[in-house]
Amino acid sequence: MSNTILKLSQATREVNSGSNKIALLDNLNMEVKEGEFISLMGPSGSGKSTLLNCIGMLDNFTDGGYVFLGEPVHSMKERNRSKLYKEYIGFVFQAYHLIDELNVWENIETPLLYKNIKSSERKALVADMLDRFNIVGKKDLFPIQLSGGQQQLVGIARALIGSPKLILADEPTGNLNSKQSTEIMELFSELNKQGVTIIQATHSEKNASYGSRIINLLDGKIVSE
Amino acid sequence: MFRNYFKIAWRNLIKKKGFTAINIIGLSLGIGCFIMISMYVTDELSYDRFHENADRIYRINSDIIFGGTELSMSASADPMGATLQKDYPEVENFVRFYASGGSKLIKKGDEYINEMAVVHADSTLFDVFSLPAILGDTKTALKAPNSVVVTERVAKRYFGSPELAIGQMLETDGGSQGLYKVTAVIKDIPKNSHFNFDFFFSMANVNYRFGNFLSHNFYTYVLLKEGTDYTEFNKKFKEVIDKYIVPQAAQFMQIETIEDFEASGNKLEYSLIPITDIHLHSARDFEIGVNGNIQYVYIFSAIALFILLIACINFMNLTTARSSGRAKEVGIRKVLGSEKIALIWQFLTESTLIAYLSIFLGVFFVWIALGWFNSISGKELLLSTLFSPKFLIFILLLPVLVGIMAGLYPAFFLSSFKPIKVLKGKLSIGHKKNTFRNFLVTFQFVTSIVLIVGTIVIYKQIDHIQSVNLGFNKDRVLVIDNSGVPYNTRESLKNQIEQIAEVKSASFAGYLPVSSSSRSDTTFSTETVMTESNGFNMQFWNIDYEYIETIGMEIIQGRNFSRDFGSDSTGIILNESAVKLTGFKDPIGKKIYTSDNDANTIPKTIIGVVKNFNYESLRENVGALSFTLGNNSWASAYKFNTEDISGLIHTIENKYGTVASGMPFEYQFLDEAFDNMYRQEMRVGKVALSFALLAIIIACLGLFGLATYIAEQRTKEIGVRKVLGASVINIVRMLSTDFVKLVMLSFVIATPISWWFMTKWLEDFAYKVDLSWWIFAATGIIALVIALFTLSFQAIKAAIANPVDSLRSE
Repeated sequence: MSNTILKLSQATREVNSGSNKIALLDNLNMEVKEGEFISLMGPSGSGKSTLLNCIGMLDNFTDGGYVFLGEPVHSMKERNRSKLYKEYIGFVFQAYHLIDELNVWENIETPLLYKNIKSSERKALVADMLDRFNIVGKKDLFPIQLSGGQQQLVGIARALIGSPKLILADEPTGNLNSKQSTEIMELFSELNKQGVTIIQATHSEKNASYGSRIINLLDGKIVSE
Repeated sequence: MFRNYFKIAWRNLIKKKGFTAINIIGLSLGIGCFIMISMYVTDELSYDRFHENADRIYRINSDIIFGGTELSMSASADPMGATLQKDYPEVENFVRFYASGGSKLIKKGDEYINEMAVVHADSTLFDVFSLPAILGDTKTALKAPNSVVVTERVAKRYFGSPELAIGQMLETDGGSQGLYKVTAVIKDIPKNSHFNFDFFFSMANVNYRFGNFLSHNFYTYVLLKEGTDYTEFNKKFKEVIDKYIVPQAAQFMQIETIEDFEASGNKLEYSLIPITDIHLHSARDFEIGVNGNIQYVYIFSAIALFILLIACINFMNLTTARSSGRAKEVGIRKVLGSEKIALIWQFLTESTLIAYLSIFLGVFFVWIALGWFNSISGKELLLSTLFSPKFLIFILLLPVLVGIMAGLYPAFFLSSFKPIKVLKGKLSIGHKKNTFRNFLVTFQFVTSIVLIVGTIVIYKQIDHIQSVNLGFNKDRVLVIDNSGVPYNTRESLKNQIEQIAEVKSASFAGYLPVSSSSRSDTTFSTETVMTESNGFNMQFWNIDYEYIETIGMEIIQGRNFSRDFGSDSTGIILNESAVKLTGFKDPIGKKIYTSDNDANTIPKTIIGVVKNFNYESLRENVGALSFTLGNNSWASAYKFNTEDISGLIHTIENKYGTVASGMPFEYQFLDEAFDNMYRQEMRVGKVALSFALLAIIIACLGLFGLATYIAEQRTKEIGVRKVLGASVINIVRMLSTDFVKLVMLSFVIATPISWWFMTKWLEDFAYKVDLSWWIFAATGIIALVIALFTLSFQAIKAAIANPVDSLRSE
């Protein structure tokens, strides 16, 4: 059978609001296996983004266990955590979050810089990625010169360039029209078939249906799978 | 990696042109000023270091207190050098300078030129100092009498070239004795030398009673053997005093040991000063030239550093204020795997890049301003010094330093953003209270206010000096150099000029109450036999009958010299300080005693007391002084009464031309000569003024940038407030209040600091201006007005904007 990528046990994320503690995520238990395409669903404030952030190690669970590729993330230091996600996780955002001052090529290249990959190798990898996404012609353009769909394409290319084991996508089509949405979801579906594990957060039933598994959240709890 | 940093830095710079401009202009002004002052300080510190033996050459200084008069001299007695060399093996060699009156008339073609840069020197000159020859053998050049060594520029000016000069005769006004053979031509002496002579005449031609330990008329330099500790050597002067000086002094006064002499409050001390210390650490009587002052080197260095800091703070404030513009990028980079340290490096690269851009502009500013800086500072700095290897390294490294200084705080600030927060757009750092930024703005204004107060006080003090009651009247007095006029015609020439209607009075004026004039002093006692307790030293000036009237001094007791009294040649007039030294209650008619060169006692009768007048810099109190009738005809003073000054000078020049044709006609006005005594203070005042202005400009530039940014950040808030009924005044007040508070805080902090510094500075002056409260108040108001003006420009712009525009965009 396929390997487990991550496992949450009793994972909790609390914040202080005045003197009260509010649980954004409440005793979650879940396991994600390699090759899965999971859709997180739920209304605004149900904890989808928080869960993605915590899984992506941009945020931390305040309680409970989180094991990523066999490593206990909950007991790791910040530094090692950042090493871990740098190596294995790619992020895709609703607002794309490309760096405005860098062109398409440079945006895609950036994660490789932080992995200290040699220049020649970087060139090959970026060229390959541009080719794969059919955006070779746009490599010198800046984000502001691209449509939303194209920007998200670049965002995904950038997430994939480091060959991560897991892609985390927070409402990846939230700012796109339906045609662009479909294209992006098709792309995710395609990537998933090629073996990339994906967790996406979405509002849309239609987008969720691309996934192999749907997890419904409400008030920080898993209500159904 | 760095290429990526550069790219993004560059694109950010291009994108935000306004901020980039403010950042770069501010930094380049700061850097330019820093470079300029560095050049100034380097030059000041480089004095006399070009001599090969610079670390072994020392000048002998003399400190004497006698009868309440204190003399700290840069000169010493003529046998001192030779005595030290004979008795102490540590002394390898010595050389003396004898300046004799300070100028010589030298014949060029048919005309005489009054040369100031002349000196008589021992033949060992070139063994001690490194003054390389162009032609001739400097080993023997000054051995024979009637030899002269000249610099290259003199050789060119008088003979056309060094080749043409060598072996030629140079004619001076010294009669048959006054012919000198040019035996060597040396390179021009570097500017950074404490002596800058163009003519070195042989010592053998000096007309002087050599062997006199009691007169201090020779600058003496000794070359110590390698490894000699000069502070240790200083202790040996005691033996010299006991062995040579006391026996000589005993010939004309009752003195047995130096201890007796010192027991009555007197002092005789010699010491060595390293030649490299002379320029900045020596301000003694009779220095060869005007020296610098280490205090000003410190002050300027501090100012340079503070201005650079102000400029760096601008960068910090602007960069952190507009951090929200960079926050998203920081967030993304962190998500993409960047570690904090990588981001810090990135931002440091950016600030260093800006610093490099700024240094180009800064050097350009230096290029533009150098001429002006030279004219106010009295330096001759060259832009080319910037391209010497040492300076080039400094200039290439400076931006790295500035980049780190200015960039470190923003780098840590920006790189610490949490990605999850900034990517959700929750961050609005712009106008949040930022204590550190407030601290920085306060620091800038404190510095600026201190500089402004300093400038005002310096200017007030200069003004005070010029208007203080001097005890003489320096206005409308023309002083003419008579050294070219044959001795026997001087009197009749003076009388002729006195006949001119515009001339109110005329006198000879060899001694004048300005420090550029001649001086002589001698020793007196109140009883016929001088002892260490009744003796005292004072200025001893020869004057004529009309002198006191012409220079506008006041006799407060007794009378002036008069032709009606045949015995006035034995009379003496004292100033109030001198009367105090004698201890006489009723001085008129009392006798005091001095001695001539042959140790004969000469009695003088006090006939009058002149009101104290300032004859040295106002840094000092008025010392004891006396007048006797005698020759002082090497200069004349004419008190005039006309507006047509050039006409008068023309008339007088014609009269001089008839008796002294071919001789230089040199004149100056007494008030100008007086002002020259304070040239250094005026220079410091001007330099301080320029830098104070620069500091406040840079600080305001930063404030302007900050205000622009904050107004931009709060556009929406301002729109909402206006819709809710806020007036333009309300909005301007809202935007300015925080900064105005900071400026007021700065004022409160700066006042005691500047008060302390300026009190210290004024301590150097015997006559000083009061630090009145209005200086501080005025400065505070100036700072506030400038700040308000800077702020209101942006605040009003934001306040009058149509709220519909600002609210629609969201």
